Amino acid sequence: MTVLQQVLWELEMDYIGHPYYVSGNAILNALVQNLDTDTARSLKASHGMFVPGQFGTFPENHSQSGSQPYLGAGLPAVETYDDLFLHREPDQGWLLDSRARDALNIHGLRVDGGHPTLAHQTIIGRPPEHQRQKLTTRWYIHAYLHADNPSTLPVSEESLGMVQFGAKRNYGYGEATLKATQTVDLDALDFTRLDEAETHLIRLVTPFVTSSGYPGANDVPVPWWWDESRDGLRFREEKIVDSGTVHRLETVDHGQVVEYAGDCPVETARNGLTRVGSHSRLGFGELRVIPLTESEAGS
Amino acid sequence: MTATMLAVYRHDTHKFNGRTHDNALEEFAGVEVNQQVPCGADGDAAALSRPLEQREPVVPTHRSPYRLSLLTGNPVHETGETAGLNVAAEVEDLITFSEADVAHEQWLQSDVAAMYNEAVAFPYTSLKYHTLLVAALLHHYRDGQGFGDLRLVVDEAETIVPHRTVYAGEQFSLRIATDDGRPSARFGSRLCRSWASTWNRLTDHPLRTDEKKWDMTLDANLRRIRAWSTALQYIEDFQGGCPDR
Repeated sequence: MTVLQQVLWELEMDYIGHPYYVSGNAILNALVQNLDTDTARSLKASHGMFVPGQFGTFPENHSQSGSQPYLGAGLPAVETYDDLFLHREPDQGWLLDSRARDALNIHGLRVDGGHPTLAHQTIIGRPPEHQRQKLTTRWYIHAYLHADNPSTLPVSEESLGMVQFGAKRNYGYGEATLKATQTVDLDALDFTRLDEAETHLIRLVTPFVTSSGYPGANDVPVPWWWDESRDGLRFREEKIVDSGTVHRLETVDHGQVVEYAGDCPVETARNGLTRVGSHSRLGFGELRVIPLTESEAGS
Repeated sequence: MTATMLAVYRHDTHKFNGRTHDNALEEFAGVEVNQQVPCGADGDAAALSRPLEQREPVVPTHRSPYRLSLLTGNPVHETGETAGLNVAAEVEDLITFSEADVAHEQWLQSDVAAMYNEAVAFPYTSLKYHTLLVAALLHHYRDGQGFGDLRLVVDEAETIVPHRTVYAGEQFSLRIATDDGRPSARFGSRLCRSWASTWNRLTDHPLRTDEKKWDMTLDANLRRIRAWSTALQYIEDFQGGCPDR
């Protein structure tokens, strides 16, 4: 049995750190002090995605439908593979068109010592005469954990309860509290939509590491089942900080889409959830397999 | 060609004075304005930036032709940067240029066009970038290219191609084109608010996202925006309004 434990933290303070996501490395470092050694060693963390706590409507391919208040501030039930990605893509497709979706979904920026700081809440409708109509949106961080030793999951709510991410933690920056957590059994998940399609795409939800300066890490080629060579891909340098030492990583930048050239999409999808390539334990190499319907495949 | 392209830069003149399209004047400062743009380019550009079926304002406290800044949250016309502008004179200039190429360049550099939204219901959209998108789409449609043939292309700074460049900044320019060997991404076949997905698929990024924290932050936010005119305007505002640049 493979279990994923979804975790949603609420940001209590502004955050100074990686603006794309809270890295899996940062999440593990924040949790390790609350965990026993065996659990800490066994645990693997996804990158934490930033989600606005807003009203929303379930996307077309979600197992549930309709609108829900604070869709971004909770963890809806997960029944199908697509359900797992509700909060994991930066353009947050569930946000309502009847609201200022782009303004609600981008990070408000403040400056601290010349560095960009992500605001922990967004306020819209500020003119003094409309104070009562102002709309405050809180920010959340969505991540999931899994483990070599399944008996270490779920991690207790107490251990997840209060964490801090990013820089200037002594000043309270990056403080977050647990909002919700739930476990998902991958073996019980419905992958029908992937099974039924003949062609598929792969979206890189987090960067795929091809080369790492970390001692002992191997170079990894672009997977043969991506129908794209190195030349057609965009790369970006990432870093891992370990005991004060910075290790540089060459990665295929996240957000890109490649055609799938393999023939076992469900297996690929499962592997993409527990991630592939170097430093997958720290959140790198998360993939989403997207089935193409006939009309989409032809376009 | 010139007359048609000039009509593009004049097609939304009514938005500068808060009139609806139905209520728009036919002439402004001696030139014909508010004409329909051919080939459906206006409607297609609108679909890139706003849900067309939605009419209710998304920010009920701001029903105004003035744009709200995605960077500061405030109405742009109230900020210090626009204080020195002679708005009426600048609008008149923008509308009355008689050479289409010149009109395109002036729109690319215009601060006054950036003060207005492209629809009152969507105050974060930008009249400036909507107009530039209409021009680029129309230029290609008239050349026989369909929407599905088009790509977002990254150019070096100062590369400006008449009517096709849709953003020109100090670090890079952005253009709508068919493939020509520069870093680019396809629009896709569906007309929708596809900014984030297109930006995500660029074969190379114009921002220094390896080491520059502010560039990473801009990139992170650009991956969260769906509306094209909002995103292009955000790049302009960010480049002018953040430190370290």
